Amino acid sequence: MKSVGHLQPVTKPLMDTMQNFFKYGSFLALLFLPALAMAAGGAETQAMSVEYRDVPGIGSRNLVWIVAQQHLLLAGFVLGVPIFAWVCEIVGWKTKEPRYDKLAKEFTKLLTSAYATTALFGGILLFLLIGLYPKLMAYLTDMFFPSFLVYCLLFLLETATLYMYWYGWDAMQGNKKAFHLFLGFLLNLFALGIMIVPNSWATFQASPVVVADGTAWERAWAAMQNPTWWPVNIHRLIANVVLGGFIVGAYAGVRYLLAVSREEREHYDWMGYVGNFIGVFGMLPLPFAGYWLMREVYQYNQQMGITLMGGFLAWLFILQAMLIGVLFLGANYYFWMGITYRIPGAESQYKKPVMAMLIVLLLCLGVWMTPHSLVASLEEARKMGGTHHPLLGVFGVMSAKMTVSNLMILVTFMSFIMYWRAGKQETAGWAKAAKAIMGALLVIAGIAVVVLGVWGYFVPAIIRINYFSVAQVLIVLFIMITFTPLTALLMKSAKTTTEMVWGKMPIRAGYSLVLNAVMVILLMSLMGYARSSSRVHWHIYGVMRDTSDYAYSPALGYAAAFMSLNTFVFCLIVAFIFWVATLGDKAKAQPLKGPTVGIPGHSAPAMAGGAPCPDEKLE
Amino acid sequence: MSEVALLQIIGMCVIGVGIVILLFIKGMFLRVIGFVAMVLGAFSLIALSVPQMASLPPAVETFDLASVKSPDDLASIGQKIFFSKGQCALCHSIGPSESARCPDLNGIGAKLAPEFIYESLTQPQAYIYLDFRHDGVPKEYPARMPHIDKDPIGLSKQEIYSVIAFLQKMSGEPISVKVEDIMGPAQEQEKAASLKVAALSSIPSFEKTEKPSSVDR
Repeated sequence: MKSVGHLQPVTKPLMDTMQNFFKYGSFLALLFLPALAMAAGGAETQAMSVEYRDVPGIGSRNLVWIVAQQHLLLAGFVLGVPIFAWVCEIVGWKTKEPRYDKLAKEFTKLLTSAYATTALFGGILLFLLIGLYPKLMAYLTDMFFPSFLVYCLLFLLETATLYMYWYGWDAMQGNKKAFHLFLGFLLNLFALGIMIVPNSWATFQASPVVVADGTAWERAWAAMQNPTWWPVNIHRLIANVVLGGFIVGAYAGVRYLLAVSREEREHYDWMGYVGNFIGVFGMLPLPFAGYWLMREVYQYNQQMGITLMGGFLAWLFILQAMLIGVLFLGANYYFWMGITYRIPGAESQYKKPVMAMLIVLLLCLGVWMTPHSLVASLEEARKMGGTHHPLLGVFGVMSAKMTVSNLMILVTFMSFIMYWRAGKQETAGWAKAAKAIMGALLVIAGIAVVVLGVWGYFVPAIIRINYFSVAQVLIVLFIMITFTPLTALLMKSAKTTTEMVWGKMPIRAGYSLVLNAVMVILLMSLMGYARSSSRVHWHIYGVMRDTSDYAYSPALGYAAAFMSLNTFVFCLIVAFIFWVATLGDKAKAQPLKGPTVGIPGHSAPAMAGGAPCPDEKLE
Repeated sequence: MSEVALLQIIGMCVIGVGIVILLFIKGMFLRVIGFVAMVLGAFSLIALSVPQMASLPPAVETFDLASVKSPDDLASIGQKIFFSKGQCALCHSIGPSESARCPDLNGIGAKLAPEFIYESLTQPQAYIYLDFRHDGVPKEYPARMPHIDKDPIGLSKQEIYSVIAFLQKMSGEPISVKVEDIMGPAQEQEKAASLKVAALSSIPSFEKTEKPSSVDR
């Protein structure tokens, strides 16, 4: 670290103080951000000569990692929740069910405090980047400055729209509701802009393009249109919906566990259902978006693709499979519990299909988690005839993994359809034929996905990637696109045989909702690490090399510890935001009228999962 | 104590705290925190149990002039560069290959003049050799030939010469690149100047294309 000229007497004692200070706790570094920023930006001469600054103790990279991760997760939350709220508001408007409108309003209320927290972390991140990576930031600023202005403008528009959307909620009911919905649309539109503009900066770092001479606006626009920009935009947009849905689900799960009255339990049980539904709804197309992103990465630079899928990050995808597998299991388990506890009598009807689905999911998860090559001693490798196991090696390749991921999506979709149909009796004359067609289509689709997967072993990789994998995805999408409206039509005229009962779920339902949210947050952290590590020792791939002491990607274990820490901190921040946002409600709340009752199985240890008490009566 | 061992102990402690909370604490919110701690601790332990590989930045490869005594030495170094730093084998094959995204380089050293190979590596869009026009089903992953002397590959002139020597040797051609050609900056400059290949346009199989726009670095 250099200090030059007349600044030295001023900055030297300050930096010494900072260094001593950091020894006692790196978190306190945040308090010194303004000083750090001044040290960075106070003199151009200094900024030009300094490429990096470090933070003693925690290290500059780790500090940026934590702050950036919190900012990104919060950003995902504040971009996902408005989508969730807007969708709920539309559903409430169309179905005339006020509880959806209430739910949408409840979550919009969170946005004001959540936005402030997100912006706070964004500001800290910006100061850190300017202070710790001045050369990189100078380059990016030079390249993207016009887009910074657009970003600021979008923020202004977003903030103004959010104020109108939130404060105008009650005033814009009745015939003004359409305008309020339009505001919700604008809110999400500006939020989309706020997401995609910085995405272009990050994706440019991973996949920079040739930028010809031109005006600042032309250069910025050319740099923004890099190959991974739109795949990341779409992937993040869907992932934000998933994050928003599952966080709402987790909030509902916690509130359900804390609920003391029947009304509360019914409300949060229902909220958990809606959150899980939207999370799963987003999760189903997410792997396809991820597949598109990886395709673009390979197309842009095969070396980068190999680093991700076959290089030192190969084991990361085993962890990813595990997290996605747990998420799929958790989401399905919640559906199955819903069938069992919310629809009395449906359990026996769906017991066998649920068992079959569980077996398929576990088998698929086993295949997905099979590593491509095994860690083996020389002797073991000799016995196996290489690092590939003679039997399990078959499951370690992409053809098998693509197949099982498609099957898991199919199973999850069918869980949802099953839940939809439970407790209802179709009355339409064509119901039998429709169900037979759907059953046949499902079987054909499952077989086709497996056949294409097996066939994929016998064709060149390029054929498999471009045709077989795409065909598998299209088959699953076809099933989803045809089954959803068909089931909706069937249910429209169906007779309800068993009314849905809310608030009867066991305590493990609340935990499974929390687990799903944790899995999604971990997944986002894990894939962020993967995307960042794919640049290896480059700040901007192939353009600006990282020459700092941190020009390496840490091993998975170390990275996972950081991801866990980040996830925990994020959960606490979100809990704090929820707590702050509901403080006023608690003060205003009337004494509870409903009887105080326990959740079924509440007395059992949580680890045992609890069980509904058969004798328990709510009233 | 290694970093992994330390992290494993921390992970186990976190899980232990989670278990204690779930067993002995009645407050539901704290129980949820204990549950989350257990999940995160378990995730960390699993991640610590897989092979731990950090991605270290590659050492800067240097061209060892002292080791080059003959054209064969040069070709030997070129072969190493072809399959490593040069990243040529990522896209090109030597011999027929269905998965290769770019032209088969078998016999290329005999087909093309070294001057043209040099220009193909350093100015890949200047001329397209028509024999490499792709017929049939278009490839979905067409790779654009990078400027091999620029980042991220960034071969030096000497390294490029050695790759050319390898391509010639692999094609059964006598190696025309001389050891003297790579010896010093003065010679290097002279060689580079001589490789400007002004006469390339006289070769009928070349097609002029648009000049690539410059990379802003």
